Amino acid sequence: MSERMVLKVNGKDYPVEVKANELLLNVLRDRLMLTGTKYGCGIGECGACTVLLNGRAILSCQTLAISAAGQEITTIEGLSLEGKLHPLQEAFLEEGAVQCGFCTPGMILSAKALLDRRNDPSLEEIREALRGNFCRCTGYVSIFRAVQSAARKLSARGGKS
Amino acid sequence: MPSSRIIDLDLSYHRPASLAEALDLLREEGARILAGGTDLLIRIKTGQESPRSLVHLLGIGELQGLEFKGELRIGAATQLFRLEEDELLRETYPAVFEAVKSLGGTQVRNMATLAGNLCNASPSADMATPLLVLEARVEIAGKTPAGKISRRTVPLEAFFIGPGETVLARGELVTAVIIPQPPENSASAFCKIGRVTLDMAKISCSVYVEREGRRIRKVRVAVGGAAPRPVRAAAVEKAMAGRELTRALLAEAAQGVGEDISPITDIRSTREYRREVAAVIIRDTLLAAWERCGGKEIR
Repeated sequence: MSERMVLKVNGKDYPVEVKANELLLNVLRDRLMLTGTKYGCGIGECGACTVLLNGRAILSCQTLAISAAGQEITTIEGLSLEGKLHPLQEAFLEEGAVQCGFCTPGMILSAKALLDRRNDPSLEEIREALRGNFCRCTGYVSIFRAVQSAARKLSARGGKS
Repeated sequence: MPSSRIIDLDLSYHRPASLAEALDLLREEGARILAGGTDLLIRIKTGQESPRSLVHLLGIGELQGLEFKGELRIGAATQLFRLEEDELLRETYPAVFEAVKSLGGTQVRNMATLAGNLCNASPSADMATPLLVLEARVEIAGKTPAGKISRRTVPLEAFFIGPGETVLARGELVTAVIIPQPPENSASAFCKIGRVTLDMAKISCSVYVEREGRRIRKVRVAVGGAAPRPVRAAAVEKAMAGRELTRALLAEAAQGVGEDISPITDIRSTREYRREVAAVIIRDTLLAAWERCGGKEIR
């Protein structure tokens, strides 16, 4: 079974024909060539495949593409604006929160979902929001610092991320 | 060859807009309910299940949301993050709130549904024990041979049969979970012990207690991960009901849990450890609930 549908990714409409068994992760990576979203474990443990669905962090390796038709999907490629990095991306660079980089897209998207709801999260809230994202370079301390720094920048600007 | 990268299976996918439509689709050979997908898609990837069609329940309004009318009715396909964000649930049913907060990571709670967690019938399902001690009921819908929707309600305690097994018949689905309103001077609490926070529990526990001064008027205790299904700890409850809560009573009553459970050794823990720690987690959870309903330091 396959279906013609529209995937709304980063504010853009992508008409695609997908089979019922296709995972959102693979459609994003292999069909739309949005390879920022990573395949990590494939079983919901690591969070490397995190994307936002209607503003909430979800696992794209555990989501059928067909079920995401018409919904707002945000991937890491959708964060920078006219070539300018998102404050979270800037903060990750400034704080040295990127080592091998594999977990970074998922980490940043989970952090964005948090900052879109809470403009001044506590360290505990940040840890909680990122609980589903593993960093095997164990750079958690700098990652948390980066999210705190981005939160400060964003609230100084008084806007949403 | 099972792969965690793709789903190597020909599937059809349905997203019914109504309960009646969903029930019709479920009657077909090889049909399987898809809710949050956090368990099912892994089971399909690993070859443990090979459905022919998936009936996705997230588009059915009747199965969504929380409604409080004397009792709390939670639609079966309500995703866990909505429970986490509900003020009334947090205040009235703290054990349920704590269980949600402990379940998986943010992404899983954004996807997984309440009834999904129950219907998979894992012996250590986090949502099971708080709902057991709160005497929740499960509302089930099916279709009669004549094609009419039939409904029945079962106490959650009678819902689980064994690992992965519930009383749901083929073609039936859970429509809601109903939790009665707890009286004044009562409280509930949930605790779990896991290897790491994201992992499933080695053992979990919920306690509901009604307090009258220093006396325990009513108490209900449930343990997860220590028997083929989440169970009430009847021996522990019996030893404490109606008595004044003291350290000695609590220690002795909690030891009685050995009669209520039959833990196994698996990759997460051993039966000996689970036996040992069951009494400890019951003590901790009971004290948390006791304090929550105004109980003072006990003697």
